[in-house]
Amino acid sequence: MTTILPVRRRTRRRPALWALLLPFVVMFLLFFVAPIVYAIVQSTLATRSSGLGFGPPETTFVLLDNYVRALTDPAFVASLGRLLAFSGILVPLMVVTALGLALLLDTGRARAPRFFRVLAFAPYGVPGVIATLLWGFLYIPATSPVLQVLSAVGIDVVPLASGTVLFAIANIALWGFAGYNMVILLAALDAIPGELREAARMDGASMWSITWHIKLPLVRPSVILVTVFTIIGTLQLFVEPLVLQPLTTAISSTYTPNLAAYNQAFSQGNPNLAAAMAVIVAVLGFAFSFGFLRLVNRKGNRAW
Amino acid sequence: MVTVRRRQAPAVSTLAINGILVVAAVYFLLPLVWVLIAATKSPGDLFATFGLWFSDSPQAWSNLVGLFTQSGGIFSRWVVNSIVYSGLGALVATVISAACGYAIAKFVFPGREVLFSVILGGVLVPATVIALPLYFLLNGVGLTGTYWAVLLPSMVSPFGVYLARIHANASVPDEVVEAARLDGAGDLRIFASIATRMMSPALVTIFLFQFVTIWNNYLLPLVMLNDTRTFPVTLGLTLWNSQTQRDPMFYQLVVTGSAVSAVILVVLMIALQRFWRADLTSGASKG
Amino acid sequence: MSIHPARRARLTRLVAGSAVVALTLAACSTGSDDGTADGGTPDEPVELTFQSWVPNIDQAVDAFNDSHDHIQVTLETITAGPDGGYATMLSAVQAGNPADVVQLGYDAIPDFLVSDALEDITDHVADAEATFVPWQWQTGVFGDRVYAVPQASGPLGQFYREDIFDSLGIDYPETWEEYYEAAQVIRDSDPDRYITAFAFNQAPWLIGLAQQGGAGWFTAEDDAWTVSIDGEETISVAEFWQRLIDEDLVKVEADFSNEWNADLQNGNIVTWISGSWADAILRGTAPETAGQWAVGPVPQWSAGENVSATWAGGSASAVLKGSEHPAAAAEFALWLNSDPQSVDILTNVGAGWPAVADTSQVASLQDDPEVFDFYGGQDIWEVFAESDAAVDTSWEWPPLSSTLFASLTDNVKEAVDTGTPLVDAYRQTQTDMVAALEGRGISVN
Repeated sequence: MTTILPVRRRTRRRPALWALLLPFVVMFLLFFVAPIVYAIVQSTLATRSSGLGFGPPETTFVLLDNYVRALTDPAFVASLGRLLAFSGILVPLMVVTALGLALLLDTGRARAPRFFRVLAFAPYGVPGVIATLLWGFLYIPATSPVLQVLSAVGIDVVPLASGTVLFAIANIALWGFAGYNMVILLAALDAIPGELREAARMDGASMWSITWHIKLPLVRPSVILVTVFTIIGTLQLFVEPLVLQPLTTAISSTYTPNLAAYNQAFSQGNPNLAAAMAVIVAVLGFAFSFGFLRLVNRKGNRAW
Repeated sequence: MVTVRRRQAPAVSTLAINGILVVAAVYFLLPLVWVLIAATKSPGDLFATFGLWFSDSPQAWSNLVGLFTQSGGIFSRWVVNSIVYSGLGALVATVISAACGYAIAKFVFPGREVLFSVILGGVLVPATVIALPLYFLLNGVGLTGTYWAVLLPSMVSPFGVYLARIHANASVPDEVVEAARLDGAGDLRIFASIATRMMSPALVTIFLFQFVTIWNNYLLPLVMLNDTRTFPVTLGLTLWNSQTQRDPMFYQLVVTGSAVSAVILVVLMIALQRFWRADLTSGASKG
Repeated sequence: MSIHPARRARLTRLVAGSAVVALTLAACSTGSDDGTADGGTPDEPVELTFQSWVPNIDQAVDAFNDSHDHIQVTLETITAGPDGGYATMLSAVQAGNPADVVQLGYDAIPDFLVSDALEDITDHVADAEATFVPWQWQTGVFGDRVYAVPQASGPLGQFYREDIFDSLGIDYPETWEEYYEAAQVIRDSDPDRYITAFAFNQAPWLIGLAQQGGAGWFTAEDDAWTVSIDGEETISVAEFWQRLIDEDLVKVEADFSNEWNADLQNGNIVTWISGSWADAILRGTAPETAGQWAVGPVPQWSAGENVSATWAGGSASAVLKGSEHPAAAAEFALWLNSDPQSVDILTNVGAGWPAVADTSQVASLQDDPEVFDFYGGQDIWEVFAESDAAVDTSWEWPPLSSTLFASLTDNVKEAVDTGTPLVDAYRQTQTDMVAALEGRGISVN
């Protein structure tokens, strides 16, 4: 991993190093770091009017007021809780589904594995907005063949009721990304040397024990990667509730923290509060992802 | 005893395995089949007929004509825009993140690990944090409302740097780099002609990943673009979806448009998916 | 804000015809057109951008460009205001490169004033005051300064399935009490049938009903706002709907949803209180029910009264602060909303009931077999003309109306979702709104 080079030659390489590094680093600073700094600054400001509110407002420095306001707003706190619940539903569901399908394909007993792989991967290409529009039709009795069939056999499901809507959203995410994650895990399974499997089989190991003792430990880093990606994805939950919002009583304008931030910024004209909310989500994201990585790294080999 | 169990178990489990995969296949296909069928219906039949079968008077052609002629044929423009944003954005993203990842893997310089950690942190930042401040920053230089406002931010892929680094470590041996240097090749040339070839599965992966990310992006174009002529498909279809409130005719446009854009992407995915061979964590790849 | 295919055909003829007129006019007016507005000349016209989300409004813009050679307007179709359009406009003002003229809901005008985003156009448009219906004109006036030119509103009427009413022997409900009785009869007639959908998602509809019940939610007094979302009138309106919901006489369902569309088609929902522009929506959604609909006035709280309201106001054109050509922009805003040709186009594309006082000049509001046949030959425009005249015009919009909309729908959704009283939703909205205003430093009594 580390290339030890003589000092003299290293300095000669400096221009090349810069040429390789700089394009990305400059773009990263401009389009990632600068906006974050700007958002943090914004989150410490507030605009205030007076009287009836007509006339130029003034901007004042309020330090942590916006954060206090966000974190004391029951609706926003509830949205954070909802996000945790959503992670709790989606992350295990996603990892188990993707890993399960990948392992099934990897047994070598599936018919038309290439076909299935393509098919499962296809929803990844359907943008979240459009996927939600489609599922929106499938969640409403008037247009959903699935619900109509279920209702005909006496099962009445209301996917958009307040008790089920979180699962309905999780389903959209699962549909979109399970195949994609499966392909990531398949690539890792493919990379397991054939000799290792063969040796285990010669030793009389069953399919289960090969899966359990050989495959799973070897794809562990990829499983961790998929888990972290899914955690990050759930924290960004935004488009699905935004599109489903008009269809149901169960989704309010503050349903998820990102939706709340979006509404503050884009419909209620309070970008400062929105910035504070977004920063809170980002901090949560860091805490979650690093917390998870820490947990798994302590137990064994490093993921990255 | 042992042999019997060995012979039976595979038969049963093969059946079970394929059964589960068939159920999964139906699940992945269902919404796509639904939208393809819905795209052949009149707005009235959309709500009045069974969703998984055709209506008595299919009108796929007139729906398609309607889709491509509405507002002066703006839909095809949205498709082209999406391809430009995704294709160009992903191409540049691949080149610059590959260069950066390679440099981090193969050069020793102070602050290397710090730089890498900061870039990795970028993977974790929610899009909503970036979009609005980015609008103000780009507005300051007069770029909002232009293609650049969506293209430039799309060219940054922190995840691409991560992938490029682990793949450069795994598939570009130090000895090869060293040998090329001894032969007098410049580092840029080593990167451009030798390393990129060895890293090609990773590069394809980065490209595909970023292509789909940009294609699916909704918030950034929503914030940046004013003029429908610069919209990508996602934004255009949601614009139409909001207009269903004032004219139910738009329902059919949204459904047909979703079907067409899903077909385009699915075909693209199927065509490109076989290149997706890179293992994202170990850097190993299959050829 | 829509256009029906058949209307479009008619419109094409209309635009083609007016293009000829415009050409002739242009020919006559060359020379007299001194191009004073911001120094634009036929050779170097002033260039303006206009942002709107009204579908097909480009036809009106084209008509303007054809008839004006010293000003040329470019249309930018944007995301609807509440869906992000307003935020983009406000950000552009802050960043110093705004569009010149924008589409603005009446409710959003105070929001824009709070953000100091509107140009004072009094000097350019004040003379036109008499052209417009007074209450609509007033929505753009603050103090004695004019900030917006009204375009159109949505006076409420009740669309109903006359055939079903007749077959059940129901007389048209003139009062809300009769409405309640009709609801019972309709509910009893079919297990799937309801008198209407309770559109928990639609703040403008909820506000329109409260306004029609005599509520005034916001009044400016002594440099401070009096907020009474939980006032007596609103509470009795809420209690009325609570009774309908509790007795399962209305279907709790989002309007404009897939399910709602299906319910309109198959007669599961037989009335809809909505704005004048809803005629095109009904004709587009449920073409198979042609001839079976009719329109009547909104039921009254006291028999014999005639109180109407609107679908949360209407829409205006305003000039954004920072426009380089405010005079030309104001000229365009005024022409767009008052020129007979333009008003006719706007009405045709579904912008709403025109804000001009004299609608006898608007061709598309005259006899229209295409529309009237759908309503069994009824002249439905008469109903809306009367409704427009009966609108309680004292309604005022406060700043932060978007917060009001979001909070109201959130609270009403929660009430119907959890089964808590509807009146609590309005009380909570009162609390939310006062907190939001005070949070911005705005005085509340």
